[in-house]
Amino acid sequence: MSFFSARNLVAGYQKESRVLNGIDFELDQGEIVALIGRNGMGKTTFLETITGHIAPSSGMLLFRDVDITAAQPYIVARAGIGYVPQGREIFNEFSVEQNLLMGAIGKPELANKIPDWAFTIFPVLAERRKQRAGTLSGGQQQQLAIIRALVGSPSLLLLDEPSEGIQPSIVQNIGTTMAKIAAESGLTILLVEQNLELAISLANRCVFMENGRIVEEVEDISRLRNDQELVHRYLSA
Amino acid sequence: MELALIIGLDTLNFTLGLLLVTMGLVVIFGLMNVINMAHGEFFLLGAYTMYMVQQAKMPFWTALLFAPILLAVIGFLIEEFVIRHVYHRFIDTILATWGISLALKQAVIVIFGPSSQSINNPLPEPVEVFGVVYPGYRLFIMGVSLLLATGTFLFFYRTNIGLAARGVIANRAMAASLGINTRFVDRATFAFGAATAGLAGAVMAPIMSVDPQMGVGFLIPAFLSILVGGTTSLLGALLGTGIIGTSSTIVSSIWSQVVAQVVVFGLAIVIIRLFPEGLTGRRK
Repeated sequence: MSFFSARNLVAGYQKESRVLNGIDFELDQGEIVALIGRNGMGKTTFLETITGHIAPSSGMLLFRDVDITAAQPYIVARAGIGYVPQGREIFNEFSVEQNLLMGAIGKPELANKIPDWAFTIFPVLAERRKQRAGTLSGGQQQQLAIIRALVGSPSLLLLDEPSEGIQPSIVQNIGTTMAKIAAESGLTILLVEQNLELAISLANRCVFMENGRIVEEVEDISRLRNDQELVHRYLSA
Repeated sequence: MELALIIGLDTLNFTLGLLLVTMGLVVIFGLMNVINMAHGEFFLLGAYTMYMVQQAKMPFWTALLFAPILLAVIGFLIEEFVIRHVYHRFIDTILATWGISLALKQAVIVIFGPSSQSINNPLPEPVEVFGVVYPGYRLFIMGVSLLLATGTFLFFYRTNIGLAARGVIANRAMAASLGINTRFVDRATFAFGAATAGLAGAVMAPIMSVDPQMGVGFLIPAFLSILVGGTTSLLGALLGTGIIGTSSTIVSSIWSQVVAQVVVFGLAIVIIRLFPEGLTGRRK
């Protein structure tokens, strides 16, 4: 049994639509996989279906031998899947601290407090722990959203375009930090990304998505640096 | 001087009574964006719980326990069978809760009849405050209102469950993806709002005429209060009830009830015109 698998997954926003058109996908424990594809190919829809926000019309989702197909979002989260959605979705009116606390209080097995390490990964969060999260910069909000997910101690983390709208130095910082965390903790990461630099620096393997299907796979992601044709085919307009 | 003090106490009394009723409305309307037209009937059922307790010759105080529990159960059922199906259709929540309001009111008429019932005052002794003699039970109501308002504030702003509830209101999808059971929070919030209305009804019953129409009298100023104060925070409820309560008591003690109504509505219209989101609401 694999750690995570999607089998012939079909889903869409309306009844008849098929944004996901039969996805077959597997993840092993501890690996970091980049999911790459152009806009509108179904990457975010895939993550929204895994997290239970969209009910699949057919197919199956298995996570650590548990069937999570069409499970409610809070059940998926409690099963150990952390989600950092596109646009970060932090709680603007809450303080940094309260945002992090939100990551813990939904999990019955965790203590209702923020672990100390949460403030050491990105030190800026410690400096601004009492500040309203809506006043943080985009990059800081992204860091907050990532730590908020990690506070819930997931075993699989879904990251949707963490580089979007963020200055390059912070993107690089997020990339190296996540790689280090994954190496130390064995966290499995599924990264949806159009920024190749971040994808290559963080992931081991990559899969390409087109028209709601996984169409190609590259075992060694560093190959993308030299394979312009492949990159061009799945990323450039 | 003594007259001013009495008007001051009356103002505080009416304001805090109004706050007692408004608390549940602001939780349900402000935090869940559901206009609960049945709130007045929740209040009514709280008052009739007090009446039943009196008929059963049970001590007065037990009603203060039974009313919120009964209304929490009723609120839970109504949320489960009606409200949750119409959360995303704002106008339909008004229609649905209005229907519930009619049904509850008629049920009360069927069971207890249309006439008014009177409740014995459990604290008939007047109390002297700052040199004026004031009904003791009215002071008790003021105390209960302050306790409930403080308790509600502390619950929503100082506890983790309160934080989770506010998180669900702010961003339902994200809160769910952090493991928070949003359906549970919906049910609990609605039941809590209903319970506070039930408590308000039971507490106010001894100084009111308990009849099937009594809910409406408080519902309108309560709605005005949250529109004036702002729907997004409990502070708005405090501010709104302060303004509506104060203006209506002062004007009605100087002129008349009718003038007070006109002044209060005029004031509310002006404030809502200038602050469409209410005094504490953020401009979009």
